Amino acid sequence: MSDMKPKVSSGKRISGIWFVPIIALLLGIWVVVYGMMNEGPEFQVSFESADDLEAGKTKVKLLSVDIGQVESVALTPDASGVLVTLKLDKDYKHLLTDDTRFWVERVRIGAAGVSGLGTILSGAYIKLSPGESDKQRREFVGLESPPLTEAGAPGVRLVLESDQAGSVSSGDAVLYNGYQVGRVENMQFDQDSQKIRYDIFIDAPYHRLVSQSVRFWNISGISLSASAEGFKVHAGSLETILLGGVAFGEAEGMPVGVPVANETVFALYNSEQQAMEQPYRFSTRYAVSFNQSVGGLVPGAPVEYRGIKVGRVERLLLKEMAHQNRSADGSGTPIAVLIRLEPGRMGVGDSQEGITRMKMGIALGVGNGLRASLESGNLLTGSLLVNLDFHPGLASAQVGEYQSYPTIPTITGGLGQIEQSVTRLLEKLNKLPMEDTFIGANVALARLDESLASLDQILDADATRKLPEQLGTTLVSLRRTLDGLSPDSPIYEELSNSLYELNETLKQFEELTRSLSATATMLPTPDQKDPTPEAKRL
Amino acid sequence: MRKSSGVTAAGCELASCHLCYKLADSSQHRCSRCGSALHIRNQGSTQNTLALLITASILYVPANLLPIMITNQLGGTEPATIIGGVLLLIKLGSMPVAAIIFIASVIVPLSKLFALYYLCWYVQRGSAVSARQRTVLYRVAEFVGKWSMVDVFVVSILVALVNLGGLMVIRPGPAALAFAGVVLITMVAAESFDPRLIWDQLEERDE
Repeated sequence: MSDMKPKVSSGKRISGIWFVPIIALLLGIWVVVYGMMNEGPEFQVSFESADDLEAGKTKVKLLSVDIGQVESVALTPDASGVLVTLKLDKDYKHLLTDDTRFWVERVRIGAAGVSGLGTILSGAYIKLSPGESDKQRREFVGLESPPLTEAGAPGVRLVLESDQAGSVSSGDAVLYNGYQVGRVENMQFDQDSQKIRYDIFIDAPYHRLVSQSVRFWNISGISLSASAEGFKVHAGSLETILLGGVAFGEAEGMPVGVPVANETVFALYNSEQQAMEQPYRFSTRYAVSFNQSVGGLVPGAPVEYRGIKVGRVERLLLKEMAHQNRSADGSGTPIAVLIRLEPGRMGVGDSQEGITRMKMGIALGVGNGLRASLESGNLLTGSLLVNLDFHPGLASAQVGEYQSYPTIPTITGGLGQIEQSVTRLLEKLNKLPMEDTFIGANVALARLDESLASLDQILDADATRKLPEQLGTTLVSLRRTLDGLSPDSPIYEELSNSLYELNETLKQFEELTRSLSATATMLPTPDQKDPTPEAKRL
Repeated sequence: MRKSSGVTAAGCELASCHLCYKLADSSQHRCSRCGSALHIRNQGSTQNTLALLITASILYVPANLLPIMITNQLGGTEPATIIGGVLLLIKLGSMPVAAIIFIASVIVPLSKLFALYYLCWYVQRGSAVSARQRTVLYRVAEFVGKWSMVDVFVVSILVALVNLGGLMVIRPGPAALAFAGVVLITMVAAESFDPRLIWDQLEERDE
């Protein structure tokens, strides 16, 4: 029985079956090693919120190709955002460069249309937009909205600055002559400069249209303006009425500028008119204080010199006025208005030098009576404009200073002046002694009546009636006298002879005067001016 | 001497043919009836079982870690692991279904693996306590093992049924293959185990 034991025992010989677990183990190890070798890079993207992001599910896509997925979603240490850890496939490691951008693609309904409809069913995914940099990076800040322009798209990226947000928003079109050549990518409020900054992108090849001298303006909606120049209604295309947009163009008569570089800053004007109105780049500011109502004076109102536009009103200096002392004479604080004068409009050149020359000219002019006044621009709208003109005979003045702005002295003008004159006239009229005049006139009329009555008596007298008869006899005797002077009479002949002789005598006299005048120049001239009539000086 | 089990074939120096079960003298190398090789006990039974058990254990790791089923639903791909599916079902409130899947996919294969490990270890070590219970254990392990295939069946049926083009497609994941491997290999391991070895321990003790 004991000889059976070795056969039963199975531990002595190694069976071929052991290949099976060894192969399984090797396979397992290979799978693990292969997986580790193909492990893509892990990187982190921070977002404001983790909306629609799910760890292990949300994909990273580029051109709709899955290239990675979300590994984990966690809050940032200060809980102000989320930190999404993503894993990219090994083959796409090179995409993680310094300027790679990430954003969450989900359904968006905006001005530019509806996008990301596919994500309704498939769920949101993270989109990657490769950059151009060579520098690798592993930590990114995700975009909250997709960039409107693919990275590396040819064109030019510009910055527009505006004081008012208006109705331009990201995604709006940028038009040139009504044709879309770009779009507004982003807008943000810059607290330091108190301006709205728009990032816009102009596609190639239209970016060549943008030169230093172009102007951008807002063509959103319909604008109705009533200014000193009348009413104006302006509207762009239907699309821009509904969605808003920005247009640009060259100001007329401006030299063609050089093409601009990326990130060049331009001003965004509120209207085409406003944009084109200011083809001058250099300007200087003056403050003018008015001691009258400035109702109807709006920012942008023209500043004219004898009817020629030389600048515009920028704003009322209300903030600065608060620091100003009240005037002592009880006439209240004058209203200070900031005006902008453009030397280019005055023909002294649109340059820094032009500004200096203009300032000198104004300083000189103020000494000679140059004054600013408010004039009525449009009686219908009641809008005012600032007029600069010479008023000779005023006391000499000079350019002052108002809260760091130079000032031009003012006089009351326009409607205010008329108002004052009319008031003065009425006051004088009131003072006139009307009643005395009427009484005097009545007395005079009574006397006139008396005179007429006596004249009547004279005319009725007999002597007056006989006058025509006497006149007839006088005329008959006059004719008889004239008959004696006819050409046949001896008197006439004598007269004719006498005249002939007189003529001869005169001829001789003429010769005498000629010889006299030749000698007359030798006489000394009296050294005395003719007396000039002179007005009495005030 | 043979109180508990009486006369055994091995004790009488007789070997049973593996194929036709004819008893023949153990000194003979071949069965006189069918001609197949004669052994008193299955050759290397414990070794084979152990090797297969280790293979199954290795396969069990990917079977649970990798997705067993991949659902493509309207563009979204959703992989599901066994445990993930069970947890999802619990969350959805389908406790009975979750229990079935959990028992069939986790408890049964694991208990079978451990049962066979235990039997192999027991046979090698030669402790002969409650051999009858071990036989029961072996029978249960052998019987219940095939039910583990429930998971694989569910996946294969779903893959065949749910194929709606772009709307929804279910594909088997790599874990399905591994899991099928676990089930098949444990079945083979259970088959290759010679339960007579359990009783041999008893004989030895009795001696």
